[in-house]
Amino acid sequence: MKTLTPEESMHTCVRCGACRGVCPTLNITGREADGPRGRVLMARSVIDGEIPVNQEIKDQLDRCLLCSACVDACPIDVQVPDIVMLAKEQIAAAAETTVFQNSESSIEQPGRLASTVKNFFFDKVLADQKRLNQVGNLLWMYQKSGLQTLTRNIGIMKFFPEQLREMEKITPAVLSPSERKPHPEYTPRANERKESRGRVAFFQGCIMDVMFRETNKNSIKLLSKTGFDVVTPKSQMCCGALHHHSGKKDKTIELAKANIEAFEKAEVDYIITNAGGCGAALAEYSDFFRDDPVWLERAKAFSKKIRDISEIIHEKGDLPKTMGHGERVTYQPSCHLQYVMKVKDAPARLVKRVPEVEYVELPEKKYCCGSAGIYNLLQPDLANDILDKKMENVKKTGSGVLLTANPGCFLQMKLGVHREGMEDVIETKHVVDYLVESIERAEVKAH
Amino acid sequence: MNETIAPAQLDDKVISRLKEIFGDDRVLTNNTDLMTYSYDASFETQLHPKKPQVAAIALSTNEVSECVKLANEYKIPVYPRGAATGQTGGAVSTKGGIMLDLSKMNRILEIDHRNMQAMIEPGVVQNDLNEALKPFGLRFPPDPGSANMCTIGGMVSNNSSGLRAVKYGVTRHYVLGMEVVLPTGEVIVTGGANSKALKSVSGYDLAHLMIGSEGTLGIVTRLRLKLLPLPVSRGIVLCSFARLEDAGEAVNAVFSSGLQPSAIEIMDFNCTKAVNKMKPELNLPEDNEAVLVFEVDGANEEVTSQVNRLKKVVEKYATYVKFSDEPEECEKLWQARKLVGAAVGLLKPGGFRVYGGEDICVPISRLPETLREIHNIAEKYGIICGIYGHVGDGNLHTGPVVNSNNKIEMENVQKMIDDIHELAIKMEGTTTAEHGVGIVRAKYMDVEHGPAMEVMRAIKKTIDPNNILNPGKMALPN
Repeated sequence: MKTLTPEESMHTCVRCGACRGVCPTLNITGREADGPRGRVLMARSVIDGEIPVNQEIKDQLDRCLLCSACVDACPIDVQVPDIVMLAKEQIAAAAETTVFQNSESSIEQPGRLASTVKNFFFDKVLADQKRLNQVGNLLWMYQKSGLQTLTRNIGIMKFFPEQLREMEKITPAVLSPSERKPHPEYTPRANERKESRGRVAFFQGCIMDVMFRETNKNSIKLLSKTGFDVVTPKSQMCCGALHHHSGKKDKTIELAKANIEAFEKAEVDYIITNAGGCGAALAEYSDFFRDDPVWLERAKAFSKKIRDISEIIHEKGDLPKTMGHGERVTYQPSCHLQYVMKVKDAPARLVKRVPEVEYVELPEKKYCCGSAGIYNLLQPDLANDILDKKMENVKKTGSGVLLTANPGCFLQMKLGVHREGMEDVIETKHVVDYLVESIERAEVKAH
Repeated sequence: MNETIAPAQLDDKVISRLKEIFGDDRVLTNNTDLMTYSYDASFETQLHPKKPQVAAIALSTNEVSECVKLANEYKIPVYPRGAATGQTGGAVSTKGGIMLDLSKMNRILEIDHRNMQAMIEPGVVQNDLNEALKPFGLRFPPDPGSANMCTIGGMVSNNSSGLRAVKYGVTRHYVLGMEVVLPTGEVIVTGGANSKALKSVSGYDLAHLMIGSEGTLGIVTRLRLKLLPLPVSRGIVLCSFARLEDAGEAVNAVFSSGLQPSAIEIMDFNCTKAVNKMKPELNLPEDNEAVLVFEVDGANEEVTSQVNRLKKVVEKYATYVKFSDEPEECEKLWQARKLVGAAVGLLKPGGFRVYGGEDICVPISRLPETLREIHNIAEKYGIICGIYGHVGDGNLHTGPVVNSNNKIEMENVQKMIDDIHELAIKMEGTTTAEHGVGIVRAKYMDVEHGPAMEVMRAIKKTIDPNNILNPGKMALPN
């Protein structure tokens, strides 16, 4: 658990500037308000009631990616994203009252329909595996039925914002409902393994399990092949990260409790995630239960077990024989993985162990790719600048494979490759899928 | 929360002229934007933020020059700013005006490795330059604790230095020439307009007048820097002393034995406690009065021999000695020193480390006495304070820790800071060794310099007759 609350933390910033070099938005614009120090001051001024709550301050704080690079760079761990989030919650609360409706300090009201849709999405869809599955079915139908081709042909998508249009084009193919059966509740370590490397539980996630079903299946396969006995609890829920970032506290806590209970029953040594965003949220569950001593202990025990899949395989697993085919590979880290979970080089180290592969470090990999949840939909201009710069660096590596470790990053990188028109040259992949492929390639060769 | 003394001339016409120079996106007038340009890392600007009337982000010498010309025409103050990591309020407004952000002028223009020099823009961060120089086996030696975030333009303006000044000197020693925008907007190049010479005595040394002038005489837009080869390896000796005086004796003994360490750092008992809190695995001895960390550098065999000699010399005075010439172990020991600045905040729960009186410098011979006096002052005001610093130069950092919501502590810490500065002068030292004067040390300048201060004011008046460049700093007129 973090030692200080956001309110305490915001008063410890001495503005030393250690965060300046790692902030992706400051790097683009150079405006102090686009950097962590400026944001802490602005957020703190909102929280302390020193400045009017209006559209201007809302716009400023909305530009933060909440990537946590600054927290990692801060010598005293000032919790910038938490502080910004707290201010944003207060701004959102103020926007709902009529007090701020005068012209001096008014906040644009989100459309009624938009907020209803958003609430439904968060409360009813993400938090409910069954509904999420139905959305998956719809998406699959949309893609397979020719509707996707049809909408593209009649050009309906042109009425959507550019970012959404582009996103639609790169959305991964969703597996058919019959292929999306629940994961087996227990997958033992692979046959050839005499000794277990540990009993672990797999956290499947919500979006991950619908849109990236194959990666989830590969994750369980990879864990098993590296010597782990894998439990995938049926009663697990969405991690709640998106709810938390949207200020939906009650729902977040409800989901956290459900997950803690589900994984306690699994009786495992570690809980494994393959999405940096989810892993970071799960690792910080204890922060939700500061005032609830019973749940706090349970949350702490839960969070202590969270490991990223690359981390656990690198540290405790036994990677079987792998084989590349002479490709050049680079890796764009997930911010939540490298800055919150502090898993910095495990994915790259695993890839470097694959023979016949040239691993090239991505320049400026410290910077967020600009995905950051739905940031690229909300801040299209800044997100585009960040992405353009990222792709410049990707091109510098001359890689044919671009690896990621989080669904958001995966989609953003795929979008970047698409925008550059380089789909034929650069393949975007999750580290897990890449490793499974190279294991299977080695297996084929051995036969 | 912000104080603004607005000069009347900055009206919409000036703003639109600025927009012509910089473009709409890089001229900032929003209240929230100006708030974020109201501080640097100083305690003073935490307490009394000072908003400019407008901020502009410069990308070229031409933009800087046009902006200064405009300011000079309307007699509007201009405050040049790098990363605003300074501790003295040097890069904040004193009376509204234009905040000129130079941190985006951050291109490394040329690395001329055969001639051991580099040409850069002022917004380049120290560490970024050194990363770029590594493949050439070169480095830019001045290394302030803030090397990861401070711009070299800021280092030059404050003549900064850091841990390795004891062997490699200060920023001043590595500036060969510079391009400067004068307060009239005119652009000059010092050290010979086309020169690539490593030494020159041709004419007045204008670069060295500019270095340390804190942006009061001109705005640096390009820098020609002298580089040194990277040392092959480094070694560390960490030792602990029962009494402060023993540490002082050890430093003397090391110098008299003919050794030239690349750094000698001191940490008092509060600092070792704080570092252990942050990184318990470092396990520094806590029951003693002081810890010294020596660093030596050079070729591999040189380093090993220096470490052994050093160890022998300090063993006579120390109660505990740990040493290494293994890179990983060295990095771990060195980390102990690097963490102090931030770690002292941990001496008090929810504590806030105050920068103020944090870079005084006294003769090496008076160090033990000064350290004791600082602890007495801290005790008098009931404030916890960690002391560390570059003991090889007699340069000390004092880090008082307070709770920002405790009014009495906040008042007392101010008095404590004044006492520490007075102590520095009394000990035949100086109020600032590397951070600069800015706003916060201005009040000590007349005492420290006497009639020489009038010469400084005369120089300022000659070069900047309208007093538009960074006014109100260094005890120069506001």
